[in-house]
Amino acid sequence: MHMADALLSPAVGGAMCAVSAGAVAYAAAKIGKDEFDDKKIPLMGIMGAFVFAAQMINFTIPGTGSSGHLGGGILLAATLGKFPAFLTLTAVLIIQALFFADGGLLALGCNVFNLACLTCLIAYPLIFKPIIQKGMTPKRIAAASVLSAVAGLVSGALAVVAETTLSGITELPFKTFAGLMIPIHLAIGLVEGLVTAAVLLFVYGMRPEILSCAAERKALGGVSVKKVAIAMLVATALVAGGLSLLASAYPDGLEWSIEKTAGEAELAAQSEVHEAAAKVQEGTAILPDYDYREEGAAAIPGTSAAGLVGAAITLAVAGGCGFLIHLAKKRRQKAAAQG
Amino acid sequence: MSRLSDAMADLYAVEQLAEKDTPVHRMHPLAKLLTALAFVVAVVSCGRYQPLRLAPFTFYPVLLSAMADLPFGRLLRRAALALPFAVVAGASNLFFDTAPAAHLWGVPVSGGTLAFASVVLKAYLSVLALLILTATTRLADLSAQLVRLKVPPVMVTVLTMTYRYLSTLMEEASSMSAAYALRSPYAKGVKLAHMGQFAGQLLIRSADRAERVYAAMKLRGYAGPVPGGRGVPMGRKDWVYLIGVLAAVAAARLVDVPSAVGGLLGGMA
Repeated sequence: MHMADALLSPAVGGAMCAVSAGAVAYAAAKIGKDEFDDKKIPLMGIMGAFVFAAQMINFTIPGTGSSGHLGGGILLAATLGKFPAFLTLTAVLIIQALFFADGGLLALGCNVFNLACLTCLIAYPLIFKPIIQKGMTPKRIAAASVLSAVAGLVSGALAVVAETTLSGITELPFKTFAGLMIPIHLAIGLVEGLVTAAVLLFVYGMRPEILSCAAERKALGGVSVKKVAIAMLVATALVAGGLSLLASAYPDGLEWSIEKTAGEAELAAQSEVHEAAAKVQEGTAILPDYDYREEGAAAIPGTSAAGLVGAAITLAVAGGCGFLIHLAKKRRQKAAAQG
Repeated sequence: MSRLSDAMADLYAVEQLAEKDTPVHRMHPLAKLLTALAFVVAVVSCGRYQPLRLAPFTFYPVLLSAMADLPFGRLLRRAALALPFAVVAGASNLFFDTAPAAHLWGVPVSGGTLAFASVVLKAYLSVLALLILTATTRLADLSAQLVRLKVPPVMVTVLTMTYRYLSTLMEEASSMSAAYALRSPYAKGVKLAHMGQFAGQLLIRSADRAERVYAAMKLRGYAGPVPGGRGVPMGRKDWVYLIGVLAAVAAARLVDVPSAVGGLLGGMA
């Protein structure tokens, strides 16, 4: 469920990076203040590596012939507590983006929010903890794991849909897209929750002291959890509102539907909507440009036969330069080897 | 377990490449990180109906990997592995956006085709940029710079520690799954019913290892998450590189190079 750079517009990607950076700063400050225990630092690092390795173990799902793998957000939160778990999962996501091409630099903010924030900072304290609080029985562990894993994954999937739609990457309507993503992630979340429950039960039976949720269940400040949740919800609403404003300044869908209803020829004429859109666009040049409308119907600058030839030549020149550098390097190496 | 061994091989290959000594490798990590980020933003911000505008951006991966002595074919294949998701997400455009948006030698091309091509190309280019960044920069150097960027020390420490123990734990998981596979022939992976014990066992072993690592760190005088190296500041050469690449990326983003080149050739449109 990692988002890729190419599925995002810089505005959405940048906004989500800011949100996630804020969450990281907040979590780091929280760890520094009240739950700091320097024993936790190596534990966090190694648990991060554990999640990484555990995600790569394929397990077979009986009856379907397909295989799944663990996400690990709830597992981490149950072992480390919510803030350390969030930072650890963020570290895992950074490494996945950098070394395994899962996600990307610009998409990092989205991935941290979708996969780490929603599971460790929302689903875990709001669903997992209240259920576990009354005591760790197999039934409660199972219910808490399944419910929180499903909630985390489905909200993450919804966030992916929202981010992609706001970026204007897909022509799929929001409802259709969400209708495709949610059932799939319900099923995945169910399996993930069951596995999480099995792992937690095993560890609880063998070595209960490893689980932080087992230790801290008596001393739980209900207020702070609620506060964090409310703050996160408000922040999400603000960001979503801001993003949709930004998105409506680039009325992809709007212009598209205008094109459909008004016919292409009329688009050459200057309409008010168009002028307004062009003005906003001039102000923020970093966003995708829609300037082709000004050139009249069916003429996108840079997408013409001349452009195609030019692109081919550009590619050839780029490739040629690379090849020349390669040759020059080889020659120098040879000379060095002989001399 | 092929996924585990593939990942281990990938990690090892990238680490080996990052140890090379070329002009690109010697460049300041922060300069490389910022140029990669600018490159990705510029590529992603290109118009959704303008796949051809992406052509000049190919200079970046080609030139960098040539100067950094990277195996270009292997990079291309590695980056292709990241494509399927972008292909699936972009494919909807093909079906929903069928109005002709451009003409190539009189043949109408639908907006969806253009949008699809540009999503896939953008995905490919941005993944390539990231792969080149990690193949020319060691994570230790990069994270030393993160402290300069005011990333919380706890975050940086956890990042470096996770990375340091990645191969250890993947080896642990790999040997466990080898043992499992030997006792359950013809099984494709771990059975769902055994996954609790399997991953739980791995979790307990990890926690025990963390205990030992902590003891060892304490013995060496560890006192809280203060990363050792702060990293050197950027030199003049690094600034020149940073500004040069930023200017080139901006130029490629703002100037319609393909049309200009095509126009020079005698207006073939």
